[in-house]
Amino acid sequence: MNRFGLLINREVQTSKRDLSIYAATLFLILFVFETIQSFVTQYSYSGYSSAVYAGLFPNFLFFGGLIITSMAFAEDMFSKNGQQEWLMLPATSLEKFLAKGVLTAFVYPVALIAVFFLSSVITEPIQLLFFGNPVTLFNPFTRAMASQLALYWVWHSIFLLGSTYFHKGHFFKTVLSLGVIGIALGVLGLLFVKIVFSIKYGSSLRTFDVIFSFDSLLFQPARGAAGAFRVFSKVLYFVVLPLFCWVTAFFRVEEVQATDAV
Amino acid sequence: MANEIESGQTRSKEVVSSSGEVILMQDIGFSYGKNQLFSHLNLRIKKGNIYGLLGKNGSGKTTLLKLLCGQLFPNEGYTSVLGFDPIGRKPAMLGEIFYLPEEFPLPKMKASEYLKMRSGFYPRFDHAMFEQFCRDFDLDMQQNLNEMSLGQKKKLLLAFGLASNTSLLILDEPTNGLDIPSKRQFRQTVASAMTEDRTFIISTHQVRDMENLIDPLIILHDGAVIFNDTVDSITDKFVMDLVTTEPDKGEEVAYKEKVLGGWMVLKERDEKEGGKGQPLDLETLFNVVVENPACMQGGVK
Repeated sequence: MNRFGLLINREVQTSKRDLSIYAATLFLILFVFETIQSFVTQYSYSGYSSAVYAGLFPNFLFFGGLIITSMAFAEDMFSKNGQQEWLMLPATSLEKFLAKGVLTAFVYPVALIAVFFLSSVITEPIQLLFFGNPVTLFNPFTRAMASQLALYWVWHSIFLLGSTYFHKGHFFKTVLSLGVIGIALGVLGLLFVKIVFSIKYGSSLRTFDVIFSFDSLLFQPARGAAGAFRVFSKVLYFVVLPLFCWVTAFFRVEEVQATDAV
Repeated sequence: MANEIESGQTRSKEVVSSSGEVILMQDIGFSYGKNQLFSHLNLRIKKGNIYGLLGKNGSGKTTLLKLLCGQLFPNEGYTSVLGFDPIGRKPAMLGEIFYLPEEFPLPKMKASEYLKMRSGFYPRFDHAMFEQFCRDFDLDMQQNLNEMSLGQKKKLLLAFGLASNTSLLILDEPTNGLDIPSKRQFRQTVASAMTEDRTFIISTHQVRDMENLIDPLIILHDGAVIFNDTVDSITDKFVMDLVTTEPDKGEEVAYKEKVLGGWMVLKERDEKEGGKGQPLDLETLFNVVVENPACMQGGVK
């Protein structure tokens, strides 16, 4: 096994008990939800909903995944005793960083899909047997699933950066920071709009409302620019932002090891 | 990267083979914030020895070890460990160093699982040797690590470090938490694992546990290495004697200590007296060097 494989193996081995408990809890939750739904369907004579798995999947993908990502560096990088072993592992900082990043960004969603699918494989026949519900296995090959995974890729990178940036309370501090950044960007955006439209239409925002009563034909020339802006925004959101967060997180790992380590 | 590592290893061999030194520190300065710990610290360590690192509490023993491993970065100076700059923390260097800290957490898993997980990082890891050490230390590989006592955990890591066959083993207070038979076993095991290609640095306060094992000695004091030589270098120059009366102020003694039955004094060896005198223990040697570094100038390297 090469060094990177050994690091991946180390990450899995050190957290396999916690992840096994997590997987078992997830299975129980899915089973209980399905059973409750079967009861409700049977006694309320309402239609059977096949969206339980698809409905619960994003919660576990985002909440579970982002919390796990937030904790990825807590022990190895910010625990005074724990970091010694991590620092002394014969591997480069990049390999150590990537091992954690790859596991939380790619392996976790795949493992979660596998657990959801297996849970549905076990749960559905039981529901069929006891309640006569139709078998609806978890289907990961949907458009909604693809967009959720794409969103997870973006949000994961932000929480990965948070996990390397904050020494304690990584998850909550990242959420709070996002809130603060969101408010700040909102205020800046409002100021920008107010300034731009004031220059063009006068100092009152009432004139700004008027533009919406214009005929849509007036916006025809702007459609091309809007389309380009949309593509640009998507590239920025799904490619540039995650890459920026990954690169910054790596440099943060290097910085912590050089300054705060031990 | 491969070239870099290769050239690093080549450099390592050259440095070690030409001078026999595995560690070279020159003019090292290090501080925790405004608190200057080391200033112009110099240290040379030759391969094939079990060095004992001694010093008072807070003298910087653990910090020095962490500087050698690349866990801490010096503010100034030059460091070479096995031909590498420890700051780079290159895998080729880390694969040749095993560091056993004084305190360490271990994951919740069986000892056998831990072995499987970590041994792959060390290319020369000897499983047969590890099993032998585990038998010597009376360790059960099927036991969970979180059920082991501190002493058992320490013995497991010691066995692991010794079996890893790394060129440099750095042990920080290795006998802390070990019971009396284990301390003896520790000395025997370290001695048996010693080869001319390996170097041990053992930092300890328990000098009696290390008697007859560590030599040469490195003594850290006031931010500098004030002694780095063999015990013999002292016993060749000085002799320890038990006298019934306190030596006069005019009498030339390097060190004196009130003991049961009189005074233990260290004085320069008289050629006529030859090999007379008491054996010099490490504790006394440490006290002599720290209290009177000037008289040990010949021993300071």
